[in-house]
Amino acid sequence: MTLDLASITVKTPSGTAWEFLVLFLVVILGPPLVRSARGPGIIGLILGGFVIGSHGLNLIGSGNTTIPELGQLGLLYLMFVAGVELDLALVRVHRRAVISFGAIAFALPMLFGVLIGEAMSWGLPAALLLGALLSSHTLLLYPGVRQAGLSTDVGVATAVGATVLTDTAALIVLAGVSGSQLAGGSPGSIAVQIVVGLTVLAVFSLGVLPRLARVAFRYLGTDRIVRYLLAIASFLAAATLAQSFGIEPIVGAFFAGLALNRLVPNDGPLMERIDFFGSAVFVPVFLVSVGTLLDPGVMVEGETLKLAGLFIAAAVGGKLVACAIAHLTMGYTRPQAWLMLGLTIPQAAATLAATIVGFNIGLFDQSVVNAALVLILVSIIIGTVIAERATRRVPVPTVAAHHLGERILVTVEDPEQAALGFAIGARVAAPDSGVVRGILACSPADAESRASLLAQLSAAGFASGVDTEPRLLVHRALAEGILHTALAERASLVLVGQQSAQAASALGTSAEAVAAATPVPVAILLGDLESIGDVSLIRAADGNGAPSHGALIATELAARIGGSRVHERVADDLRWTEELEAGQLCIAPLASYQLATATEPPPGAAIVLVLDSGAPLAPAGASEVL
Amino acid sequence: MTIRGGPPRLVLLALPALASLLLGCGVRSTSPAAGTFTPRTKGVLTVAMSGFPTQGFWEGSSPAHPTGGLEYELARDLASRFGLGTVRVVVKHFHQIVAGDLGGADLALDLITPTSQRAQHLAFSAPYLVAAPTIVVRSGISVPDLRTAQSLRWGATRATLFIDDIRQRIDPNAPARIYDQETEMMTALDRGQINAVLLDLPLAVATARQSGGRLQVAAQLPVTESIAAALPPDSSNLQGVSSAIRAFLANGTINRLLERWVGSSAADAETAIPLLNTTR
Repeated sequence: MTLDLASITVKTPSGTAWEFLVLFLVVILGPPLVRSARGPGIIGLILGGFVIGSHGLNLIGSGNTTIPELGQLGLLYLMFVAGVELDLALVRVHRRAVISFGAIAFALPMLFGVLIGEAMSWGLPAALLLGALLSSHTLLLYPGVRQAGLSTDVGVATAVGATVLTDTAALIVLAGVSGSQLAGGSPGSIAVQIVVGLTVLAVFSLGVLPRLARVAFRYLGTDRIVRYLLAIASFLAAATLAQSFGIEPIVGAFFAGLALNRLVPNDGPLMERIDFFGSAVFVPVFLVSVGTLLDPGVMVEGETLKLAGLFIAAAVGGKLVACAIAHLTMGYTRPQAWLMLGLTIPQAAATLAATIVGFNIGLFDQSVVNAALVLILVSIIIGTVIAERATRRVPVPTVAAHHLGERILVTVEDPEQAALGFAIGARVAAPDSGVVRGILACSPADAESRASLLAQLSAAGFASGVDTEPRLLVHRALAEGILHTALAERASLVLVGQQSAQAASALGTSAEAVAAATPVPVAILLGDLESIGDVSLIRAADGNGAPSHGALIATELAARIGGSRVHERVADDLRWTEELEAGQLCIAPLASYQLATATEPPPGAAIVLVLDSGAPLAPAGASEVL
Repeated sequence: MTIRGGPPRLVLLALPALASLLLGCGVRSTSPAAGTFTPRTKGVLTVAMSGFPTQGFWEGSSPAHPTGGLEYELARDLASRFGLGTVRVVVKHFHQIVAGDLGGADLALDLITPTSQRAQHLAFSAPYLVAAPTIVVRSGISVPDLRTAQSLRWGATRATLFIDDIRQRIDPNAPARIYDQETEMMTALDRGQINAVLLDLPLAVATARQSGGRLQVAAQLPVTESIAAALPPDSSNLQGVSSAIRAFLANGTINRLLERWVGSSAADAETAIPLLNTTR
C-alpha cells in the first residue's frame, strides 16, 4: 500500500467549531492578560472581541450571526444576574437613605445626559436613552469593599441598596424609549401600550413569578439541574412577555432577577451555578460580541472622543454631585461619601445594555457605542482609584453586624426533624435573602449508614423552598463539630435539632456548649410539627434589667416565623410547657440547661429554645444582629 | 417620604411619569445620535441596482417608474427617514456595482453579500436580510441529493458569489454557464438551456411564486449569507444607513416588506425548504 501525501488537503479553519474556539480562547486569555496589567477583566473581554472582530483580525466576520445571537442571550443573562444579585434586604433596612440617595444618584446623571443630548439636537428619545445609560451603575468594586470588612458600613449599604433603584429606573426609561421607537401608532397609544406592558410585566414578575417559582422549586426542584433550568426559564418567560408588549426583553430579564432575588440567595448553591454558567459562557460571550463593535477608526474620531468626554463628565459629575449632596444633607462622612462615589461611578451592565439596545433599534450609531465603551473603561478606572483610597479611610465597623437570617445552619441528628428545621430556617432567612445550610450529624461509626439519609434531608429542604445541599458532619464531640462548622460557614444563627429534652447530658446540651463558645445566636429545636401554625413567644416577667440577648433573639425569631400570628405569654416558671398542645410552636429564651432538660414538648408540638451567647459580644451587637 | 414595599411599588409609581415622557418622545424619530445622511443630489436618494425589474424586489414598468418591491420600498423608507422626498433609480450591471461603480448613486440595494474582496471597493451597511443560496429549477425537476445536483446544467450571473458556491459546494459535472444579467439567466432557465440556478432565498421564493408554476424552489444550501446596502467606501452616510436598517429590522419594517413583496410564505421558507447535503 502506498500513501499519497499530496492527496491530503488542509482547509483554512472555518465554521461553527472554529468560531467558538476563537471565542472561548478570548474568554480564557482576555481577562487574565488585562488583569496582569492591573486592569479589570471585563475590559479584556471587550478588547478580545475587538481583536477577533471585523475591525481586528476578522476571525469573526461582520456577517456572523451565531456570536451576536448568543451575545443577545448573554445580555439577557447579564441583566437577570444583575437583578438576582441585588441586595433587596438593604433597601428594606435603609429604606429612607436608599430611596433618597438612589433618587439623586439616578436623577442627576439622567438630567445631565438629557441636557447633553438636547444640546446636540439628538431629540428626546435619544437624549433620554443617553440619560438612562449614564444614570445606572454596576457594583463591580463591591466585592473588594466587602473583603475590606465594610459591607455593613451605612454608606456602603446605602450605595449598594441604591443600585436597585437606579438600575430599575434606568431600565424603565429604556423600556419606554425603545417601545416608542418600535411600536406603531400615535404617541398616546404607544404610551398606553408601554405603560400597560410594564404594568403586566411588573405584576407577572413581582407577583406571579415568585409564587410560580416557589411551587416549581418545591415540586420539581429536587434535581439541581432542574432548579437551574427553572431559573433560566423564569427569565426567558419574563423576557418573552416583555417582548410581546413591545418592551425590550432585557427589562423582563431584570425584573425576573428581582422576582427570584429572595428565592436565590447570593450564597446559595443555585446562585453559585447561575454565576458559574454566567461567568463561564453567557456573559463573556455578550462582552466579546460588544467588543466586535469596537472600531479604532471610529474611536479616535474627534466626534467619538468629544462624545466620550461629555459622557464621562455627565456620569462622573452626576454621581459626584449626588454623593456631595448625600455628604452635606444625609450625614455621611467625607470618606463615606468618597467610597459611595467610588462604588457608584463604574458603569458596565445596565450601561452596556442600554447602549446596545440603542444601537440595535437604530437610535445610536457606532460613534455613540464606542464613546460608551470609553466611558465604561474610564469609569471603572476612576471608580477603582477612588474606592481604593476611600476604603483605607473609612473605619471598619467594630461589630460585624450579621443579619440574623444571613446564613442559618440547621444541624440535626434525626432526619425527621429536618423538615421543621428547614421550615423555620426558611422563614428566618427570607427577610435577609439568606441561605440555609443543612447538616446531618453522626458519629464515625454511623457515617456510612447515615450518608444515605442526606437525600431525605435534601427533599425536606426543597419541600420548604430551601436551596441547600446538605452535608454529613462526622464528629467525635457534637458541640465541637457544630462549632467548627458554624465558624467555617460564618453562620448567623445555629439551629440545633435535639431528639428530646432528655438527650441533654447532665453537663448541658451540645447547643449550650456551642453558645458558650461563640457570639453567634444558637437555638435548640425540640420536638416535631407537621406545619407551622400558631407561634407562641414566652417572655420573662419584667425585671429591672434590659432583656437578655437570648430574649431579643427569641422575639425576632417569633416575629419572623409567626408574623402576625404570634401570641405572647409572660411566664417565669415552666408551666407553659405543660400547657403546650399539639400543632403549636413555642419560642422561649433559655437561661440554663436545666430548663432544656425540663421542657419536653408533647407529640406534634415543638419548642425553640434560644440560648444566651456566652462568648464576648460588643454591647451594640445584640441590636445590630437584629 | 416613605415608600413601603420597595421596588415593586416604585415601578408602579414611575409608570405615570414614564407615560408623560413617552408622549413627549414622539414616534420613530431619527436623530444625529444615529448618524447623519447627506445625499449627492439635494432632496433625492439615488439608489443603484441591476436587472430592473427583479420580482419581489424592484417592480414596475421601468427604472424611472418603479411601483414596488422590497428593495424599492426599503429605499423609500430610507428616504423618508432622512427627510428626502424622491427616490431615483440608477441601473448598472451587477459586476460594475460590486466593483464599486455605483453610477453616482448614494447607495446600492441589489441583494449584495458583503465580502472582504468587495469591501475593497465598497462600504457595507448593517445587513437587512440573511439568506441561504437557494436552488431554483424548472417544475418537474427535483434535487434530492448532491449527485442529482451535480448532473444538472447550472447557470450563474457574472460576479456573484453563486459562481463560487456552485463550483465549491456542488461541483457540477459540467461548468456553470455565466450570464451578464440575471434576467438573461432566468430566461435561459425558463427555456431549458440550463436546469438550475442559485438565488438568494427570498428572491428564489418570489421568483417561483410569480412564475405561474413554471419554476420551483428545490433546495437550499447549508450556508447563510447576509445581504447589505453598499455605499461608496468613503461615504459619511454609512452610520446613518446602518442605524436606519437596524431600526427597520427592530420595528418590523423589513419583515412587513418581506411578507408583502416576497409572500407570507417567505418567513417560513427557511424551515420549509429542504437542505441539500453538500458533504462529499
